[in-house]
Amino acid sequence: MSTEILVVSEFVSVALALILVYFFLKAHRLMRFVHLLGLPIGFSFLASSYFFLGLSLLYKSNVAISDSLLWFRLITQGFGFAFIAFSYFFSSKTERTTRYFLGLITFASVISILLVFVALIVAPPFLETPSVNVLDEYFRIANLLFLGYVIYHLIRHSKPSNGTISGFVWALSAFSLLWLAQYSLLIWGIDGSQTAFILAHVARLVSLTLLILVYYKSGRAQE
Amino acid sequence: MKVQKRSKLQIYFGVLKILREELKQNGHPSLTRVAHVANLPYDRFRDCLDYLIQVGMVSRGGEKLIVTDKGCEFIQEFERINDFLRRMGLSSEI
Repeated sequence: MSTEILVVSEFVSVALALILVYFFLKAHRLMRFVHLLGLPIGFSFLASSYFFLGLSLLYKSNVAISDSLLWFRLITQGFGFAFIAFSYFFSSKTERTTRYFLGLITFASVISILLVFVALIVAPPFLETPSVNVLDEYFRIANLLFLGYVIYHLIRHSKPSNGTISGFVWALSAFSLLWLAQYSLLIWGIDGSQTAFILAHVARLVSLTLLILVYYKSGRAQE
Repeated sequence: MKVQKRSKLQIYFGVLKILREELKQNGHPSLTRVAHVANLPYDRFRDCLDYLIQVGMVSRGGEKLIVTDKGCEFIQEFERINDFLRRMGLSSEI
């Protein structure tokens, strides 16, 4: 895949993630559930991670800048998925309007990201110094766990009897594709498969588009 | 089972929706009935109604109450966001 296409794909992902930020902020403004703030924060982190990756591709001739941007990408992406997963986790709780919930989501996200670094120490890679690429694999596994929880949450909360199962299918497919994108990048990191790399980018773009479509499909029954 | 406390906006949405439905069915709804269906004590319902009139979501046409276009837009937007959250698996009312 050429660098130009990759850069365009990253900046399109930024735009899609920012649209989702806007939808979730709108939902929070109307519903006032504090846990809903975790989602715009999560998608903002994801948007910035795609932005950093796009920039790193533009500056790939300068290894120092490119590597620094990849570090930012790793951390922001990890935080993005962590915020989204913990927002889902705390959405099941009944007292969702209390302010400490956002602090709780932030605390849980920070701890989980720190645990990735702990995992790096406890189960070190074969290489002596952990480069961005090595840490990338650890973060991808963490991202798979975060997204796995979101998928589990969606499956657990889908009840065919209430007629909204078809609504869940869109969100479930979107998060499953995001999971597939992370998994494909993990495979690409291991064996350098170009198919996995292309699949990862396509799956990510489709998943973000599907999440936006969920918003546009919402409320149709009432209209 | 623990019942979740409704937010102010959820209460306004409930009152507006019931008022609109009652207007469609009866033309001249009884306020005590709307308060009862909205599950609100009458004094709180009156406060809520005064607020909705103040912000232009409900208007008085003589003796009759009317849900304005602004009120209808609020109902539509609230239902859309509620449905969006349900589809995203983020609502407890799923």
